[in-house]
Amino acid sequence: MRFLTLRLLPLVLCIGVLTTREVCAAEPRLNLFIWSEYIDPAVVAEFERRFTCKVVIDLYEDDGAMMAKLQAGGAALYDVVVPPDFRVPALIKLNLLAPLRGENLPNLKHLDPRFLRPAYDPEDRYTVPYQWGTVGLFVRRQADRPLPDSWAAVFDPARAWGPFVLLDAQRDLIGVALKYRQCSVNSADLGHLRDARDLLVAAKRRSVGFDGTVGGKNKVLAKLAAAAIVYSGEGVRGVVEDAETAYVIPREGSVIWVDRLAVLAKAPNRDLAEKFINFCLEPEIGARISNFTQFASPNLAARPFLKPDDLKNPAIYPPPEVLERLEMLEHLGSTARLYDEVWTQVKAR
Amino acid sequence: MKRARLPLGLSAVGLYFFLYAPLAVVVVFSFNAARHGVVWQGFTTDWYRRLLSDELALSAAKNTLLLGGFSTAIATVLGTLLAFGLSRSGLPGQRWALRLLQVPVFIPDIVFAAAMLLFYSLVRQWLGLFELGVSTMVMAHVTFQIPFVTIVVRARLAGLDPALEEAARDLGANAWQAFRCVTLPVILPGVLAAAMLAFTLSLDDFVVSFFTSGPGSATLPILIYSSVKRGVTPEINALATLIVLASLAATLSVVLLQRRRRA
Amino acid sequence: MLRSARGNSNLPGSVIAPLGCPTTTRRPPLRLALLATAPALLWLALFFVGPMLLILGTSFLSRGDVGELTRPFTLENYRRLVGFGVFGFESLYPLIILRSLALGGLTAILCVLAGLPLAFFIAGLPPRWKGAALTLVVIPFWTNLLIRTYAWQILLSPDGWISRIAVALGTVESGAALYPGAGAVLVAMVCDYLPFMVLPLYASVEKLDWTLAEAAADLGARAGQVFRHALLPQIRSGIAAGVILVFLPATGQFVIPDLLGGARTVLLGNAVQQQFGPGLDWPFGAAIAALGLATVLAGVWLYGRVTGGREEVGVV
Repeated sequence: MRFLTLRLLPLVLCIGVLTTREVCAAEPRLNLFIWSEYIDPAVVAEFERRFTCKVVIDLYEDDGAMMAKLQAGGAALYDVVVPPDFRVPALIKLNLLAPLRGENLPNLKHLDPRFLRPAYDPEDRYTVPYQWGTVGLFVRRQADRPLPDSWAAVFDPARAWGPFVLLDAQRDLIGVALKYRQCSVNSADLGHLRDARDLLVAAKRRSVGFDGTVGGKNKVLAKLAAAAIVYSGEGVRGVVEDAETAYVIPREGSVIWVDRLAVLAKAPNRDLAEKFINFCLEPEIGARISNFTQFASPNLAARPFLKPDDLKNPAIYPPPEVLERLEMLEHLGSTARLYDEVWTQVKAR
Repeated sequence: MKRARLPLGLSAVGLYFFLYAPLAVVVVFSFNAARHGVVWQGFTTDWYRRLLSDELALSAAKNTLLLGGFSTAIATVLGTLLAFGLSRSGLPGQRWALRLLQVPVFIPDIVFAAAMLLFYSLVRQWLGLFELGVSTMVMAHVTFQIPFVTIVVRARLAGLDPALEEAARDLGANAWQAFRCVTLPVILPGVLAAAMLAFTLSLDDFVVSFFTSGPGSATLPILIYSSVKRGVTPEINALATLIVLASLAATLSVVLLQRRRRA
Repeated sequence: MLRSARGNSNLPGSVIAPLGCPTTTRRPPLRLALLATAPALLWLALFFVGPMLLILGTSFLSRGDVGELTRPFTLENYRRLVGFGVFGFESLYPLIILRSLALGGLTAILCVLAGLPLAFFIAGLPPRWKGAALTLVVIPFWTNLLIRTYAWQILLSPDGWISRIAVALGTVESGAALYPGAGAVLVAMVCDYLPFMVLPLYASVEKLDWTLAEAAADLGARAGQVFRHALLPQIRSGIAAGVILVFLPATGQFVIPDLLGGARTVLLGNAVQQQFGPGLDWPFGAAIAALGLATVLAGVWLYGRVTGGREEVGVV
C-alpha cells in the first residue's frame, strides 16, 4: 500500500505542475462572460486566430445570475460581459465596469446612431450595443386554431394555448405581465405590481415551470410544452429547426431590449477586451454574429452581410407598427426592491 | 418470520429496480439517435464521438479530477492527523471538537455554499485574497471533506491495539516514530478508504462548486447542471454514462481489493 | 457502512474507547495529540466556523439599492422570514419553511417504509451475499446526484413509458407530465436518499435479537404484533438515526426541486439560492441560511441523544 501512495503523490504533483504551466503560458487569455448560445463559435475561433489568444467562455442563462456572479467577485475574473440595457446603471454604480477608451474602438462609427448614447450611458463611456431583440411567444402551430396574438395564451386559462414555459428572467417576465394589464413595464405602482404578481403566480401554477430562453425553446421543440416565452433570436432559430412552430409578438406589446458589451473594472486583460469589442463591431463579424444568433444587429454597416431573409423577417426586425408597442426596461433605483420581492414571491409560491 | 420471505424478496427486487432505473435510462438514452425528446429513434454512438471532441467537457473533466485530487490529498492528511490526535482521551475541548465535526456532515450544501461565497467575497474586499477559481473550490471542498475523513479513520483507529504503539515506545521509539512506523501502516487501509470517500464527495459535489467557481473552472457537475437547465442533450447522457461506468469500476475495485485483503 | 463503535456508555458523547483496551493509554502523548489536531481544527475554524458566523452576522444587515451589503443593523430579515414583507403580511416564507420540513419529513418516512423491507431482506441473506447486496444499495449513491436526478426528468416526461402507463390507468390526463411537480421531487428524493436510510437500518436489524420475536410468536402474537412489540423497539435507534440522516439534507435540498420541480417547488434551499443568486439580497438569504443552520444544530444534538453519543456517522 505504501507503494501506491508513493507512486500517487508524484503523479498528483505532476498534474499540478502541468496545469500551472498551462495557465502561465505566454498566450494571452480573454475571459468572456456571456449568455448561452449567444456567439458564433466560428467568430470566437477567428478572434483567437487573428489575435493569437485563447478565449475562455463562461455562460449564464439569466441576467440575475450574471449580476450575482459579478458581485460575488467575478468582476476581477472576466474581461468582457454582455449585460442587458437596464442592468448597466447598477453595474456602473457598483464600480464593476471599466470606462472604454474610444481610440481603441474605431468601429463604433458603423453603429446605428439609434443605439448610441442611451440615457443610462449618455456618452457611450462604458458600453456599446451588441445585439437587440424582443420578448415574445414561441409556439407550436395547431391545425385547428389561428396563432395566438395575445399574452392571454399564457395568462388567461380560458384562452390557453397548451402547456407553456415561463421565461426565467425577472424584469422581462414581470414586464410582460404588466404589458398584458396595459401598464408600463417600468411601473412603480404597488397596485400594478401586486396585480402582475398575482397574474404570474396563477400562470406559474398552470405552467411547466421556468426556463432560460434556450431551455424554453428546446422544450417546445421536444414537445414538452406547446408555448414558451422566449427572446426573439431563440424563437427564430426554433422556427428554422422545426417549421411547425412560430414566434409572435402579442398585440398588447412587449419588451424590447439591447444587450451591451462592456469591459469589467478589474479585467485581467483590458486591452484584449477592447480589441474583442472592436472586433465584434466590424461589419462582417457583426453580421456573422447576428446570422448565428438570429437576433437583430445594431450595426448599420453590417446590413449588406446579413442574410437577406433575416432582414425581411418581422420576427427579427419588427415593422414600425409593432415597434410602437414595444417598451424598453429602465433602471429603477430603489423601486428595484419591489420587483425583487415580486419575483421572489412568484418563484416561491 | 420465514413466512415473510417471498414478499420481502419481491419488494427488495422492486426497490433495487427503483434505485437503478435512473442509471439505466441514462445509459440507454446515450445511444438514442433523437436530438430532442425521449422517443427512441435508433441506435447511435455519435454522442460519444461528439463528447470526446468537446473542449468544454474535456476541460471540465480535467478540472473535476484536479479539484478532487488536490482537495482529497489535503483533507486526507489533515483529517487523519485530527483523528489520530482525537484518539487520545482527555484532551481539552474534545467533546466540542467531536460535535463540531458532525455539523459539516449534516449541514445542507446550500447553506455551506452560501457561507463560503460570503466569506470569500468579504475577505476579498478586506484583504484582496481569494479570487474565485480552482483554489477557492479546493479550500471549500477540503472543508467539507475533513470531517468525513476523520470519522472514517477514527473507526479504524478504534480497532487499533494500543499495545502495539506502546511496545514501540518501550523499545525506544519516539512518539513520531511510533506513529510513522506502527500506527500509520496499521490504519492505512482506513486512510485509503477515507480518501476514496473524500474523493467521491468531491466528484459528486455540485452546489459548493457552483458557488465558488470562477471562469474556466467549471467541473463536470456544473457542466451537467447548466446543460440540463437548457434542456437535456444526448451528449450529457453520454457523459453521464461514462461517469456511471467510472464510479461502478471504482466501487467494484475497492470491494475486490478489500475482499482480497481479507482472504 | 455505518460503523458503530461501542464505548463507555456511561459517558454519552465521550471519546470512543476501543473494545477491551486498558482505560489508561499513553498513546499518543498530549503534546503530540494537540499538535496533530491543530491544523485541521484551525482549518475548520477558519473555513467553517468563520463563514457560519459571517452568515449569522450578515443576517442582521440590510440590502442596498443595487444589492450591496449596508447598515443599519436590523431584524427586518427575520421579520420577513416570519411573514412581514413590503406587500404587507405574507404567509409565503412560513409556508416555504413548513413545506421544506414536510417534504423532508415525508421523504424520511417513505425512506423508512422502503428501507425496512430492504434491510430485513439483506439481513436475511446468507452471509456471503450480504456484502454484495449492500454494495448494490450503495453504488447508486457513489454516482453523481445530478445524473440520478435528471434521469427522472426523462423517466417521468410525458412521452416516457411511466407517463403512458399512468395515462392508460387513468391516473393522469393525457399529455400532462408527471414532472415537473412535487410528486416528481418526492420520487427523486426517496431514490437519492434511500441508501442513507438502508445502512443504519441494516446495522440495527443485523443486531436483532430474534429470540424475542420467536417467544412472542410462541405466545400467539400475529406477525404485525410481533413486529410492533418485539422487533420495532430493538431497531428504534436505527430508524431514528436514518430519519435524521435523511431528513436534514432532504430539507435543505436545492438541486432536486430545482430540476424536477420546474423551479416551482421552492424549498429552503432554493430560497437561499434565489437570494444569494439572482435575488441579490444576501442579508435575507443569510437569515434563511441561519434558520437552516439552527435546524442542523438541533439535529446534531438530537442525533447525539438518539445514539447515546456512541455512534458516529460514516458511510464507508
